[in-house]
Amino acid sequence: MDPKLSEVSQMCELFKAALVRNDFEKCETLLSQLKVLLTAFRSLPPLFEATLNAVHELTVARDIYEHAVILSVKTEDQDAFERDFFQLKPYYTDAGDRLPQSQQEFPILGLNLLRLLVQNRIAEFHTELELLSASALENPCIKHAVELEQSFMEGAYNRVLTARQTVPHETYVYFMDLLAKTVRDEIAGCSEKAYDSLSINDARQILLFSSDQELSGYINEEHPEWEIKNGYVIFQKAKESAPCKEIPSLQLITQTLSYARELERIV
Amino acid sequence: MTQDVEMKEVPAPAPSNSVTAATPSTLQHLKEIASLIESGAYAREVRRILRAVRLTIALRTKLNASVVNAFLNFSLVPGSEVHSRLASYLPKEDEQDMEVDTATSATTALAKHSLPELEIYCYLLVLIFLIDQKKYSEAKACSSASIARVKNLNRRTVEALASRLYFYYSLSYELTGDLAEIRGNLLALHRIATLRHDELGQETLLNLLLRNYLHYNLYDQAEKLRSKAPRFEAHSNQQFCRYLFYLGKIRTIQLEYTDAKESLLQAARKAPVAALGFRVQCNKWAVIVRLLLGEIPERTVFMQKGMEKALRPYFELTNAVRIGDLELFRTVADKFSSTFTADRTHNLIVRLRHNVIRTGLRNISISYSRISLVDVAKKLRLDSANPVADAESIVSKAIRDGAIDATIDHANGWMVSKETGDIYSTNEPQIAFNSRIAFCLNMHNEAVRALRFPANSHKDKESAEKRRERQQQEQELAKHIAEEDDDEF
Repeated sequence: MDPKLSEVSQMCELFKAALVRNDFEKCETLLSQLKVLLTAFRSLPPLFEATLNAVHELTVARDIYEHAVILSVKTEDQDAFERDFFQLKPYYTDAGDRLPQSQQEFPILGLNLLRLLVQNRIAEFHTELELLSASALENPCIKHAVELEQSFMEGAYNRVLTARQTVPHETYVYFMDLLAKTVRDEIAGCSEKAYDSLSINDARQILLFSSDQELSGYINEEHPEWEIKNGYVIFQKAKESAPCKEIPSLQLITQTLSYARELERIV
Repeated sequence: MTQDVEMKEVPAPAPSNSVTAATPSTLQHLKEIASLIESGAYAREVRRILRAVRLTIALRTKLNASVVNAFLNFSLVPGSEVHSRLASYLPKEDEQDMEVDTATSATTALAKHSLPELEIYCYLLVLIFLIDQKKYSEAKACSSASIARVKNLNRRTVEALASRLYFYYSLSYELTGDLAEIRGNLLALHRIATLRHDELGQETLLNLLLRNYLHYNLYDQAEKLRSKAPRFEAHSNQQFCRYLFYLGKIRTIQLEYTDAKESLLQAARKAPVAALGFRVQCNKWAVIVRLLLGEIPERTVFMQKGMEKALRPYFELTNAVRIGDLELFRTVADKFSSTFTADRTHNLIVRLRHNVIRTGLRNISISYSRISLVDVAKKLRLDSANPVADAESIVSKAIRDGAIDATIDHANGWMVSKETGDIYSTNEPQIAFNSRIAFCLNMHNEAVRALRFPANSHKDKESAEKRRERQQQEQELAKHIAEEDDDEF
């Protein structure tokens, strides 16, 4: 076997072992070394030359990037995730027909979808979704992400939070926690418009806190305008905008002027 | 002179098939077109070339192998490399037709200028013929050869023909399913067209590239290309319609529904009436985008002539969304799922679920002043583990988004709708009027810009007497006005 290839494979094994041990510094150094070594291979994207060991090299490289993605999730580095994922993508799309299917493909695709959802990049979420084939959509990892997005859009937030229990893969936990935080903010925003007041118990339940102290801490930090009185949380209803007697004068003026100008043009 | 010769030849091979008798007229047309192209090439008038192309399309159905062969013999030097290459794509015919053709070509031995335009036109003709005959692999080979030839030519008059060639090139590959192969070529051609300031070519190639990307669902790349490509006033209405359609599709996927709706509706409006398939597609996407925006398209949209059958699934879908019934929506989606997958609108339909719920909620909120959340969950037919809690969160989100006007009473578990005030006392009518006025004024401006004056050549030359008369009248009028002015003072 090619000496370079064997060197890379050995280092890859070390990398994987370090990852399992959660030894992040070693992982990082090994990863950078591996990436440098991979540039020597000509069969990888973007060149895609058909060298002798092409299939083997592609498999090894794909393996490395998949573990890099998992590493970035463990170190909670979203930028690294994005970078590594983009490097991994050509292996799935363009080299997909040359290599046997990877076990990690669907979990990683699902992870990416989840990340886009958490970062609220819904347009990109849908664009990515379009690229998936119908069979991919049946896969539980991807289905999980899609259903999550649906529940999020509909507003059934409790479903989102229960979905946290049913993650198909342990790497999802990190993103689910982030999502929980976003969901909580959303729920708070909805509740203040929808309810006049809530008892402390109900508020705690809806916002999914485990104790009253957390609830009051949260309210003091994020929503100082809410009042806590007699065991009730009163949402700010005073800025109930009275029917605005104010005319949006600037807008009306610009509109009328544009009408006058256009009409003047009509000969 | 050509005509006399032809008439003499036709009765001679008497037992020949009636096809030979029919061919002279088509062949005659083709020869006229060839002369039109020649004159256009010499005078450098692109409009004549465009007219030639239009006439060819009209003749499309009447083409057959013998006609095309005869035309090739007429316009190209027989035995030249081009001629042999093109003739090889066509099927061989029987002896008698060959006799007629060789006889005609021998007698009409005018000096055949091998114009590049004529050559490209022959390529185009052969390509159209092959595609109509469904000989796709040969069409592929022919089109690749023609593209290689076009790359070397750099004349305005060739460009008009070249843009049609590009279209058929892409079509032949698409019909054989190899669209991804030509992507690199199309990009190179686009570069060349931009360098040569060939705007029609640029437009056509941009549309072809977008079509290529969208065929494989690569919306991201399509958008990147579209945003960076140079844009200018549309030269061809058809290309502009196509561009709007692709733009609408991209915008829909990117969740920018308002822009998408505008583009799609414009494309459907501007498209020529004959392009039924195109308009059906535009309408399908436009319907979905409008549903996603929350408005229900009127029934007349689905009842347009010729589109009823194709739009039937979408009609039922609209019905389900309008009623706000999740069950019905689910059954319709399942029933027509194959149609939707073929149209690639499946993912969009999934997004509609959220709209169905919203509409249902809105109906409930309007009809009930107070309703328990349990009943809301039952009416919405949410199938989930915990419908009441789901319903509560959904209602609160809807309130936050401003879709319904209500409050929730958590302790008692019901939803109280607010009184909707008089809408005329708000700014709503003003805003609605403004959008309509802006649209009308826009339309007026566009119409003025599109005004064209009648071409000079069509005006009858005024005879001398008429001109004298007119001048006399003008003088009298001028005097009259002058007198009037004097009177005022």
